[in-house]
Amino acid sequence: MNFLPLIVVFPLMMAIILNYLHGKEKIVRFLTFLVALALIVLPFIGEYGFYYFSGHGVENGLISGIAYLFNQTKQVVIFTLMLIGSLVLITGMGEKHANGMFTALTLMGLASVSAVVLSDDLFNLYVFYEIAAVAQTGLVIASGTEKAYKAAFRYMLMGCVAGSLLLLGIAFLLSATGTLNITDMKNYLINANPMVYGGLLMLIIGLTYGSGLPPFHTVKADLYARAKPFIAAMLQTYSKFVLVAMMLVILKLFYGMPYFNTAHGALIALSIFGMVFGVVMALMQSDYRKLLAYHAISQGGYVAAGLALGTPLGIVAGIFHAINHVIYKSALFLGAYIVHKKKGSNLAKLGGLLPIIPSVAFMVLCAKLAISGVPPFNGFQSKWMLAEAAMEVNMPELAVIMIIVSIGTFVSMMKAFYLIYLKPCSEEQINEYKSKEVPKLAIFSLAVLTFLCILLGIYPDIVVEKLYPYAYEIGRTWALK
Amino acid sequence: MELQVASFITAGLLIVIGLYGVFFVDNVIKKIIALSAMGNGVNLVLIAMGYNGGVVPIKLPNMPFEVFASKSAYPLPQALVLTNIVIEASMLAIMLALSMVLYKKYKTLKASVILKED
Repeated sequence: MNFLPLIVVFPLMMAIILNYLHGKEKIVRFLTFLVALALIVLPFIGEYGFYYFSGHGVENGLISGIAYLFNQTKQVVIFTLMLIGSLVLITGMGEKHANGMFTALTLMGLASVSAVVLSDDLFNLYVFYEIAAVAQTGLVIASGTEKAYKAAFRYMLMGCVAGSLLLLGIAFLLSATGTLNITDMKNYLINANPMVYGGLLMLIIGLTYGSGLPPFHTVKADLYARAKPFIAAMLQTYSKFVLVAMMLVILKLFYGMPYFNTAHGALIALSIFGMVFGVVMALMQSDYRKLLAYHAISQGGYVAAGLALGTPLGIVAGIFHAINHVIYKSALFLGAYIVHKKKGSNLAKLGGLLPIIPSVAFMVLCAKLAISGVPPFNGFQSKWMLAEAAMEVNMPELAVIMIIVSIGTFVSMMKAFYLIYLKPCSEEQINEYKSKEVPKLAIFSLAVLTFLCILLGIYPDIVVEKLYPYAYEIGRTWALK
Repeated sequence: MELQVASFITAGLLIVIGLYGVFFVDNVIKKIIALSAMGNGVNLVLIAMGYNGGVVPIKLPNMPFEVFASKSAYPLPQALVLTNIVIEASMLAIMLALSMVLYKKYKTLKASVILKED
């Protein structure tokens, strides 16, 4: 008996149940805690290999019906996703009114993103991609401010356009090959006609929207900045893993086709734009949440660059960076949540928090060093691998850009650290800080994430060695001459 | 075959008009209408793709299987379109609700006022 579908079905069912329990605080708290524990176990119950839904399988050499593909790489990705999900759920329990709606939407997002990661069927991927978009919009609307509504509306507007275009691309691919299954489609794409390249273009548009690469970067950053900070931690996790999943699909389908090199170049250019725009916009922000949001875009560029290189080392580095990034960026957003509880997120009005919450300051500093790629934290390991992958295909410029963007990240992060924790402040401000309590559960989640930052920085092999087999299967070696 | 070409041309027009409306019309509701038109264009592409001049893909009891298999339209796109209609309906519902909330705040439907960056 293969329990693989439970990874998607269990969160969805719990989302429906919790949605109906909205307002009943005690039951919601209890159930949320149980679900958060159960989520961590979920990735380990499936068996590796294909899973065909409703008894369909390979008939007459063609795969019919919806299929999931599960392997070590996807297990690691889903485990990280579920871990961040359960930490965010536990943090959310500390909010004054335990909120069934919030838990339900988070679970819906978790289910849909894990389905996007698992799916081996293009239409199934599209459906869950749209559900993820709706869940993210819902999470932003749940924070209930005017600006949040605006950001959500703009995100939905773009989302409908990108979603329709993605479906158009899937229609092109379906008409060119007659099948929707990704593993199957690969075999039929070799006799390529121009329609296939239309499909590729549309898939890339869908990918940029789902992951917040340019030209959708401002919309996505707005979304992160307007949600409550601990919700933003969840949102950026969703978009990083959608990016990983869709990039793997594109590589799997189109790698080695004639003219793919052009698309390759376009993807690398997009990721460079993402990196540079993200960090430049972050340097200009005066609001801590916006600063973090633009850094999420910039780091998304790193992930995309690694995956777009398409060599086994590049793919491993990209996925590893995605995992590291969601860990330290969630820690930063949780730190921002604690600061937000004390006194807003406007950098000009903050200051002098170090003596009030020294432990949080230390953990946030660890995460900040990790995001700027300082050893011995995890960001260093994956950025090093990314630079190595760029050098391996004879693109030293890419490695140089990565290092320069890292320096920009370091500068803006240290500026924010000074302005929040070290800048001297008045006596009355300290009294104001002391009057507001610190959310304890957020500190617990922050501690777990910081521990993971250091653990993966010292022993990267526990993740990296699991990523290699699939990367060798998909990636090809090539080098610029 | 002519029917298929005509549907593709209609679908292309719908998608282009939809894209124009989303990006250049300064009214929130009209933007949503344009999105709906665009979605319908995509649906039409899918439907027209599966059409081959044959019969609807419903197997009548007195029809031999070979005739059905060679004549009927490709049923997979039709299933996809049904799913997509549901998704689109829910997306548009959320957007209409949001535009209502924003209208109450700003007392106008101009996108240049409502969606201004700040």
